Formats: sequence, structure tokens, C-alpha cells
Amino acid sequence: MHIHCKVTENRGEGGRNRTLFLDRRFEVQPGQFVMAWVPGESEKPFSLSYENGITAKDLGWYSAKLLDLKPGDSIWLRGPYGTSFPVREGAVLLGGGVGIAALLILAKRTEDPVILLGGRTAEEIIFLEEFEKTGKVRVATEDGSLGAKGLITDLLPQEGRYYCVCGPDKMMAALKPLLPPEKSFFSLERYMKCAVGLCGQCTCNGYRVCTDGPVFDGITAQEMTDIGHRKRKKSGGWEYS
Amino acid sequence: MLLDIDPPIVNASGILSFLDIFQLLDRKGATIGGYVTKSISPGERLGNENPVVVECGAEEYPTLNSLALPSQTPEEWLEELKQTHLKRSKLIVSVNGVSPDGVSRIIKMVEPYADGFELNMSCPNLVPGEESVMAIVGRHPEAASRVVRSARRATGKPVIAKLSPDTRYVEIGQACLAAGADYLGCGNTMPGMFIHSRGPVLAGQSGGVSGPALKPVNLKMVYDIYAELRCPIVAYGGIMTWEDAVEYFLAGARVVGLGTFFAHRSTSDIVRDTAAIWKGIQDYLNGEPLESVVGAAHRKSSMEMTRSH
Ligand SMILES: Cc1cc2nc3c(=O)[nH]c(=O)nc-3n(C[C@H](O)[C@H](O)[C@H](O)COP(=O)(O)OP(=O)(O)OC[C@H]3O[C@@H](n4cnc5c(N)ncnc54)[C@H](O)[C@@H]3O)c2cc1C
Ligand SMILES: Cc1cc2nc3c(=O)[nH]c(=O)nc-3n(C[C@H](O)[C@H](O)[C@H](O)COP(=O)(O)O)c2cc1C
Repeated sequence: MHIHCKVTENRGEGGRNRTLFLDRRFEVQPGQFVMAWVPGESEKPFSLSYENGITAKDLGWYSAKLLDLKPGDSIWLRGPYGTSFPVREGAVLLGGGVGIAALLILAKRTEDPVILLGGRTAEEIIFLEEFEKTGKVRVATEDGSLGAKGLITDLLPQEGRYYCVCGPDKMMAALKPLLPPEKSFFSLERYMKCAVGLCGQCTCNGYRVCTDGPVFDGITAQEMTDIGHRKRKKSGGWEYS
Repeated sequence: MLLDIDPPIVNASGILSFLDIFQLLDRKGATIGGYVTKSISPGERLGNENPVVVECGAEEYPTLNSLALPSQTPEEWLEELKQTHLKRSKLIVSVNGVSPDGVSRIIKMVEPYADGFELNMSCPNLVPGEESVMAIVGRHPEAASRVVRSARRATGKPVIAKLSPDTRYVEIGQACLAAGADYLGCGNTMPGMFIHSRGPVLAGQSGGVSGPALKPVNLKMVYDIYAELRCPIVAYGGIMTWEDAVEYFLAGARVVGLGTFFAHRSTSDIVRDTAAIWKGIQDYLNGEPLESVVGAAHRKSSMEMTRSH
């Protein structure tokens, strides 16, 4: 069932990222997502970056429409859906691109987490100050404009009790072999339609990302040869990366 | 020819949909005797823009969809079929029954990889500007029988003609059986609508009602068809528990299909809960063969009628 929300603020986060704050707080476990519907346009999945907010990157036609919403405009959400990251001691959070947004609630709910962030440029490292309030942050950018010059993988090894990853598929594929499977968790992204486990659109090696995920344990992620390799497009056919 | 589906439980077409999902469930040991693919169309289709599924009502079950048959090409399906191996279960390929030529081309192409076929002549959903397959074929006995005949010529394997509850289904069903269908699928979703923020929510305006709201409608459809035609039936519509499945068997179904049931269920939930459905059915049968209950609701009512006369 769709829940009616009004936008209370539309805040720039640097780069092409913006956060929409809503007039309603959701009971959310870290890593869960909502389906955000703008009538007449479309409905797509977004992680909650705040209990009352979603952060999106202006990537294509729908995210552009979404990020065009002004305070007072209406939006309809359903969810939160899906699995979540465990909240325990000794967390290492690894985020890339707009996937960083999906880790913010987790960082606030865990004690002294270590946070590793990666992006192409400094602009893509969003929420830096907020993360610094929660724990120790290390950054890698491809052009060296912030933190170490290089990829997030260059920030490893990093001591920790468990690892939580959210970022582009390619980053996930690169991190998979570097983290202990029994102690890591990966949040995946696939094109979604129903978002409740019916239509099968968001499958990754037969797991439905909306209902079995989006957060998968590392042992399951190890089996998933589709990560960094292919996704189903709108027709259902494979799109290879 | 009949399908050898054991246990007699399948997924409904368009639910779970894809071969990699079937293969995972088969490997994990889900209690599903046959998997039915998403309906394959003659060419690529994108279907409607989101939202394509809405959950309406107090229950957390999505009850209205308007995917409007997105489909990868038959060639793409063929590639995936070649790489799929189910250890325990049968594979039924659902084909968009919109045209006799399309149906025969798709069936001939994928025949070696399928244990049977289902002809979808009943989807009520459409992309704005087109007509639904239910409107084009499913409402017309001649059109429906042309599609079935074309399938029958293309394969010797079992063919299910899947009908809509929103038609004169006894008449259409009779035409499909005469054209060579082995089973009638009863049935697809019922056309319905949902209005929100001063307009229809779904891109296709109306959609298809599924889940618990559909059960009494399709149960009557199975009952009526069995009463008139006494043919093998695959039943779909709001089957959420073993009791629902038993009701459909009593009305005349030989095989039951689960659709909306899968909502909000993870892979491990599916493994556990399909086993529970089959166990409930077996406990009900209490050692009797399934055939003893198929259509039993009809025998009971005729017996009672004789008694009261
Ligand atoms: C569980 C889940 C959580 C998500 N959380 C967020 C979130 O918090 N913030 C957010 O911005 N997005 C998130 N997404 C992605 C989001 O749903 C959309 O896919 C994204 O906004 C692009 O939509 P679009 O229509 O604007 O772009 P499209 O028109 O679909 O795409 C525009 C261009 O961007 C590329 N593109 C599209 N999606 C991605 C992607 N995911 N990664 C890399 N390139 C892509 C396309 O290939 C295309 O070139 C999430 C997805 C899932 C499944
Ligand atoms: C999301 C969704 C997609 C569907 N796609 C198809 C399809 O491709 N072909 C088809 O014959 N029926 C399709 N159906 C109808 C189902 O197969 C089934 O007949 C109907 O949902 C009733 O069963 P249920 O109440 O258990 O869901 C779809 C139903 C839903 C909810």
C-alpha cells in the first residue's frame, strides 16, 4: 500500500546527489529500501538514508524527475522492504558512489564503526562530516582529490569483526574476494518491478534481490557469479556489464 | 497427454518467472512439482512503466498487477533454456497466445527443453494503446481454438489452455478442448482497478486482481468447468494455504498453482512453506490417492440431491 508523503526539504549533497526529506519517519532497519512513486513518471527503489529521507544521484530520467521535487510536493512510498545489515560491534562499512547513502543509518546505529568510502572524485564522497561524527573514516578517490589516490580496495586490509558493503556492482565484485565470506554482507542493486518477490525481475543467480536481499551474507554472495557480470533489463533479458 | 507433475503443485506464470530462480528453488528442494515460465512473446516487449504491482487493502498481499507481459525474445529464452537443468521438477513453458503463428514458432523453437506448454490467452493487462490478449483471443471461441490448434500441430507434449474468469469460459474451454488442449488453466487474473491521487494508479489504467480476493471467483470457474466438461484442470487464484488447494481439488482441479502466495517470501520461506502446503494436502488425503478427491464436491452435491428427492 502506498504511503503519502510530502517533501519538506530538497538538499544538495555534492556532485549530482540530493536528499529529499519527508514529513514522515519510517521504522527502518539499516540497508532496507522503499519504492518511491512519482505519479505519471515511475516508481523505483531507494535506500533510506535517513528515517525520513532518501538520497539519489541524478543518473537518468527518473532520478532527475524525483530530484526535481520541491518542498510541499507529494510523493508516494511503499516499504521499507528487504533484508538489512546486522548491527553489532566492530563494524567496517565500505561504500561507493550513491551506495554510501545506504550506510548512513548503519553508521549511526553501530558503535565506533570504521568507514571506508570510495569514489571517482571528492564530490562523490557524500555525508563525509556525518560519517566522521560516528566513527573513523578513510577515503580513496580515483583522481586523488580527497584521501588516498586509488580505489576502495586499496584501503584494505582493515581489521574488523564484520564488513558491510554497498556500492556499484563492479566494486562489489572487486571486494568479494578480499573480505572473509562468513563475516561480510553485501547490498545489491537490480532493476525492480514488484519489489515484493513476485515478478522475478531483480534476480541475481536465482535470488530475488527485493525479498532475499538487498543485503546478502558473504557466503551467498560468493555463489553469485552475476555480481559485476549481468543484470536483467526491463524486458527480462540479460544486460552484460 | 497429461503432465506427470509430482507433487501436483506449480508456480503461476509471471510469478518467479525466470529459469535461474526455478533452478535455485529446485536445488534448494522447494516442494514444487513443475515450474511455469513467464509468458514468452513473439518479440521483445517492455511491458508497462512502474508501478506495475499495487498492494491494496488491509492484507499485505499485492492484489493488482499490470505488468502487461514484458518479454525477452524467444531467442534469448532459448539460450537460457539450454543452460537450465532442473533435477526434480518439470518445466512448463508459457507462451503468449496472441497469435497462432507466434505460438507455433515459439513452441517449435523451445520444444526440446519443455515438458509441456501453457497458452496464455487470458492476460487482461495492456500497454496503453493496445488490446489485451484476453480481448483479442480469450473472449472468442474461434480465435482461441485457432491458437490451440496451432500449438497442437507444433507439439505432442501436454498443452494447457489458460482461460480468463471474465469470459464465457465454459464455451471457450470447450472450443479449446475440441482443438486439442489437454488441460484448461483456470484461471488468470480478473480485471480490476485502483484509484489513488485522483487517477488510476496503473499505467494500463486497469490491472489484474490476484490473491485472496480472486479465490472465490476462480474456484467457481473450476467448479463450473468441471461440471460441464469433466476435463483435467490446473487451478490458479488466491491459493495461500493447503485448505485453499484442497478446495480447488474438490472443485475439480488436478494441479494447483501458487502465485500471489510467493509475495514477501524469501527463498528459504518458499522451501519451508511449500513443504507445509504439500504436507497439509497429504494429511487431508490420509493415504487416499489424489484422484479420490478431484471433483468430489460435485459427487457430494449430486448425492445430497438424490437423497432430498
Ligand atoms: C535496493 C536498491 C536501493 C537503491 N538505492 C538507491 C539510492 O539510495 N540512491 C540512488 O540514487 N539510487 C538507488 N538505487 C537505484 C535507483 O533505483 C535507480 O536505478 C537510479 O535512480 C537510476 O534510475 P533512473 O531512471 O534515473 O536512471 P536510468 O534512466 O535507469 O539510467 C540512467 C543511466 O544510469 C545508469 N544506471 C542506472 N541505474 C544505475 C545504477 N544503479 N548504477 C549505475 N548506473 C546506473 C544506466 O545504465 C543509464 O546509463 C537503488 C536500487 C536498488 C535496487
Ligand atoms: C505479477 C503478476 C504477473 C503475472 N504474469 C502472468 C503471465 O505472464 N502469464 C500468465 O498467464 N499469467 C500471469 N499472471 C497471472 C497468474 O499466473 C495467476 O493466474 C493469477 O495471479 C492468479 O493466481 P494468484 O491469485 O495465486 O496470484 C500474473 C500475475 C501476477 C500477480
